Amino acid sequence: MLFPFRQTRVMIRANLLSLPRWMAIATSMVFSVALVVLVLAGFLSMAAGFERALTSAGSRSVAVILGGGTNQETGSDIPAAVIRTIEAMRGDIGVARDAAGNPALSREIVVPVELSNDQAGAKMLALRGMDPTGPALRDGVALTAGRFARPGAREIVVGDSIARAFAALAVGREVRLGAVTFTVVGHFSSGGSAFESELWADLDVVRSAFDRQGEVQSVRVRLDGAGGIDRLRSALGGLTATPLVAVVEADLYAAQSAGTATLIRLFGWPIALLMALGATAGAINTMMSSVSDRTVEIATVRALGFSRLSAFVATWVEAAVLSAIGVAIGLAASWLIFNGWQASTVGANNASLSFRLTLDGGVLLTTALLGLAIGVVGGALPAVAATRLPLTAALRARG
Amino acid sequence: MTERPYIALKGVRKGYRLGEQAIPIFADLNLDIPRGDFVAIMGPSGSGKSTLLNMLAGVESADAGEVSIGGARLDLMGEAARSAWRAGNMGIVFQFYNLLPMLNAAENVELPLLLRPIPARERRARVERVLDLVGLAGRGKQYPGLMSGGQQQRVGIARAIATDPDLLLCDEPTGDLDRASADDVLDMLRLLNRELGKTIVMVTHDPRAASHAQRTLHLDKGHFIEERRAA
Repeated sequence: MLFPFRQTRVMIRANLLSLPRWMAIATSMVFSVALVVLVLAGFLSMAAGFERALTSAGSRSVAVILGGGTNQETGSDIPAAVIRTIEAMRGDIGVARDAAGNPALSREIVVPVELSNDQAGAKMLALRGMDPTGPALRDGVALTAGRFARPGAREIVVGDSIARAFAALAVGREVRLGAVTFTVVGHFSSGGSAFESELWADLDVVRSAFDRQGEVQSVRVRLDGAGGIDRLRSALGGLTATPLVAVVEADLYAAQSAGTATLIRLFGWPIALLMALGATAGAINTMMSSVSDRTVEIATVRALGFSRLSAFVATWVEAAVLSAIGVAIGLAASWLIFNGWQASTVGANNASLSFRLTLDGGVLLTTALLGLAIGVVGGALPAVAATRLPLTAALRARG
Repeated sequence: MTERPYIALKGVRKGYRLGEQAIPIFADLNLDIPRGDFVAIMGPSGSGKSTLLNMLAGVESADAGEVSIGGARLDLMGEAARSAWRAGNMGIVFQFYNLLPMLNAAENVELPLLLRPIPARERRARVERVLDLVGLAGRGKQYPGLMSGGQQQRVGIARAIATDPDLLLCDEPTGDLDRASADDVLDMLRLLNRELGKTIVMVTHDPRAASHAQRTLHLDKGHFIEERRAA
């Protein structure tokens, strides 16, 4: 074979320069690919955003102790006597201690509350009652306005995601949750994590307001270095009265996100693949039209001595270029429409969980590959057809 | 000792199948063309002119018999070998020019040169030389769509001779041209034959075009029925 690279390069150039001749049908292929990319990017960015909201909420240096044989806060119950026992434990139980030598922990309870306004409609939100140590036991949490709630005061601090959606939760406003009116005293950020979908208040105030006296669903503790979780589990294993589970906070949220994210993907992929199948059929049709339109040109250069391979590669590259344009348009549109778009769903505790759709590197790469696959698969058959054109077509056809 | 003809067809058989029906074109075709000859092949539609030209170009193969050009047995070659042989030894002039409309005249002429180990500068020099030879000096940047039929056919001829092949196959080269343009093209072919010694085989319906050749062969129903030599 003589100088296949030069032949192929000139045929690719000729093919691409002939695109304006069949602009309408080429454009339809480009937009088919773009649409597939847009749909898949929508679903995957939703799953990625949901996962990110939950996984970024979890820290590996914090553990959550749950009771009642469950590994979720909902349904968990830790008797006060058990908590007192944990507080009284001496020696290395894998938990960091404060200056007084007491374990750094926060007792917590989550109550779903309904809140409505014109912007967001009625939504169930998670009101978390916690000890004053609670905020410090969450990595990456910072006040963006006001202050945290004082012990014993009917005050709440609101996650930024919720605060953006509810004008009624501005700092200084009063809001009725259940039978009690709370004052919003601050807003906090946690880098867009699931914490931002919560309202935080003093534990005793929440228990009192919702008739949950004495109830504790979870205990958060700061782990004392690597291996802290194992030592904590070992220590808790000695408490035979109540079965307790200690879960690393990151694992707890990862487990919560996995099911929903998988569900989103299970919806998204079949739809995107079906659309991709249609787009591939469209790509085959488009490229067949292109080959048919250039029958004389392809046969002519083949008659001059150009190889079958150059005809094949040029047609294939043309399809890949068209799908790459579609991918670029689809990704740009996805970025503009989806990236950072705030969505919400029902999370753990049956409360609203806000998250931002996220077009991360994985989403961009996956959708781009699917879009390019449409061109590569859809261009292969027409590329083969281009190599099989009868050369006699060149000798008598009107070019 | 007699010199072996440049083009030699011996006992060539060729036919087509149309469904169940076999359509014979040539049953036993023989043809000798010496090097440097200018041969016109005439005949009515369906006489086999195009099939003969396709076999000489190596784009169709004979069912049986020998097709030899310059000592190379095209009938024994595979498709890829015929393609490579064609690229190195012959130029083809098409009835409808077959220029690539998205490439300019110079780029069209350069196409067959891309198949050879010729540096870019030498390729450009050769393109300029052949465009000058066909009377299109300085028109290399022009696109085919902006040229007359006669000018396009000149570009087609320039492309056919760019690699300096021994053989030119011309398929109705004046079939789409007005009389003046046709005369220009025929004069050019005659010049290439006389001055540069190219062997030319031209298929045509036009007796005026055939009159420019040294030898005219009439083909009918797969047989040469008449041969006339120019005075």
